[in-house]
Amino acid sequence: MSVGYQAVGWNRQKKLYDRTLALGVGLYLALFLAISAAVNPNATAETLVIRAFGTGALLLLHVVLAIGPLCRLDRRFLPLLYNRRHLGVTMFGLALVHGLFSLVQFHAFGDTHPLVSLFTANSRYDSLAWFPFQPLGFVALVILFLMAATSHDFWLANLGAPVWKALHMLVYVAYSLVVAHVVLGSLQAETCPLLTGLVGAGLVAIVALHLVAGWRERALDAEHAGDATDGFVDVCAVDDIEPERAKIVTLGGERVAVFRYDDKVSAVGNACRHQNGPLGEGRIIDGCITCPWHGYQYRPEDGCSPPPFTEKVPTYDVRVTRGRVLVRSEAHAPGTPVAPAQVHAMGSRDA
Amino acid sequence: MPERDEFYVGYLPQAPPRLAQRTRRVAALLVVAAVLIAGGVALGFARLPRATFEFGNEKTFTGTVEVAPYPALLVRRPGNAQGLPKFSRYHLVAFGKHGADEELREWDGQAVTLAGTLVHRDGQTMIEIVGGSVRAAEGERVATGAPEALGEHRLVGEIVDSKCFLGVMNPGNLKPHRACAARCISGGIPPVLCVRDASGAAVYLLLVDRSGGPVGRRVLDYVAEPVRLVGDVERIGDQLVLRFDPREIERL
Ligand code: HEM
Ligand code: FES
Repeated sequence: MSVGYQAVGWNRQKKLYDRTLALGVGLYLALFLAISAAVNPNATAETLVIRAFGTGALLLLHVVLAIGPLCRLDRRFLPLLYNRRHLGVTMFGLALVHGLFSLVQFHAFGDTHPLVSLFTANSRYDSLAWFPFQPLGFVALVILFLMAATSHDFWLANLGAPVWKALHMLVYVAYSLVVAHVVLGSLQAETCPLLTGLVGAGLVAIVALHLVAGWRERALDAEHAGDATDGFVDVCAVDDIEPERAKIVTLGGERVAVFRYDDKVSAVGNACRHQNGPLGEGRIIDGCITCPWHGYQYRPEDGCSPPPFTEKVPTYDVRVTRGRVLVRSEAHAPGTPVAPAQVHAMGSRDA
Repeated sequence: MPERDEFYVGYLPQAPPRLAQRTRRVAALLVVAAVLIAGGVALGFARLPRATFEFGNEKTFTGTVEVAPYPALLVRRPGNAQGLPKFSRYHLVAFGKHGADEELREWDGQAVTLAGTLVHRDGQTMIEIVGGSVRAAEGERVATGAPEALGEHRLVGEIVDSKCFLGVMNPGNLKPHRACAARCISGGIPPVLCVRDASGAAVYLLLVDRSGGPVGRRVLDYVAEPVRLVGDVERIGDQLVLRFDPREIERL
């Protein structure tokens, strides 16, 4: 969590994650280069490097983009999300090698500055099939650079969440640009249906995962239509909530996480202050709501992160009446203490 | 703990056992997918024809420099040429994406030795000159003599930059190479029309304008695309040349 901006701790999980990532990327590059050199001995070495790193980056970009919706569809993918930043930075590294090699190979040592040549050497902006595809890759690379450079929580805190989020949503622009870069570039020359097929399948998979995950979430966003009395809405039965877990409901247009723990019920805003992780999919650990994404913690009674941390989420008034949970749809300011609702009347707990 | 109760917290030293096992499986699957895709994609790229750049292998050449329309070195064939032209014509270019015109202007028509690296494909040969290596040489000068007219032809092919196409970059043509080809030709690399005959063998024609001069930047907008050119074909030694009007290039 974000009090001092020390280097992120390098714990065992992260080391495992990074080692697996290095293994996968290393194997990909080594195999690609070895097989290409064997079956395509006439290809120039630089061409093979450009291809290995370009295709490796695109493959990894698919993984990065798939993790989000996969986690929304099945929580068991969450361990892949915890360290997604390292995937993103690695992917940028691969793309950078590809881009720099291409820039030197195709534009350097000529009569024009390489960065000018990149945009002007192919003049066919008037044609789709002959459209200059390299500038598309360049713009994508700039976006990936900005994302990699600001991926640390330091930047999230300093840019502010909305700016940071908007910047990181640009990954979809980058992905679209890269797909166009490949379709209008290499695929205009290559004839093997496998290559076109893989690019197409990747695109379909990414779009489909996002649509399905989004569609599932729409159900969540339907305003909760329970009976309302003096501003309190009946959201569910106490028994609908598993112990130490939450149910997510939408009240007044906001998602609210209603937690049950220690014979009590509390409700807080669902969005984690870190990166909008769904707190309602987290659980209570050591008395604190723990975000499923990166483990930020909040006390259910007041929505505050335990000291020394300073994050705060909104809180909601809660009542329990005859086994039903009622939540008032108006939020309190983040960090406002609210007495938890007692599930069983004091002293009658074992009754 | 039942599986649905397991909860992953990245900063804790151990992941819950079942989740850890499942994550290991997913990771293994991803690594296997990466391996398969690496193989598939590597095999999916088209096999490239032979084209050679003898990078790192500098040699010395002796012959006569001819600067127009594009710099070349005329080298006498050893022994009895048996009906072949009496000399070979090597394209001369400079380092990177630069023609050798400037370096060779003062040597036009003279016998020289020079150091360079060979580039060759389909019987076409090019030398990338080591800058500053040109020296006057003893020996006879060769002249190309009058070109042999082969009549008017309409030719369909692709305009490529001869340096990359002959071997400095492979692949050195088609869309992915377009920008590079334009940069090379713009820098003075001789543009060549590559035409495939019925058997698929490549025929190379140096492109010159109607007055026999280099066409240079006038063809930049048409490189790498299929085009039709109409002009007079000539033979200079073992080199075919197409004399045409660059304003009349037709896209197909
Ligand atoms: C400065 C930026 C970039 C430049 C100049 C550039 C240039 C190129 C060139 C010239 C090719 C064709 C290479 C060939 O002959 O096979 C290519 C292909 C490709 N590029 Fe890029 N690119 C850039 C950025 C990117 C980025 C950011 C990605 C992905 C994250 C990417 C992914 C690919 C892929 C997958 C291919 C097809 C495989 C290949 O042919 O190498 N490129 N790029
Ligand atoms: S901890 Fe990162 S989003 Fe909650």
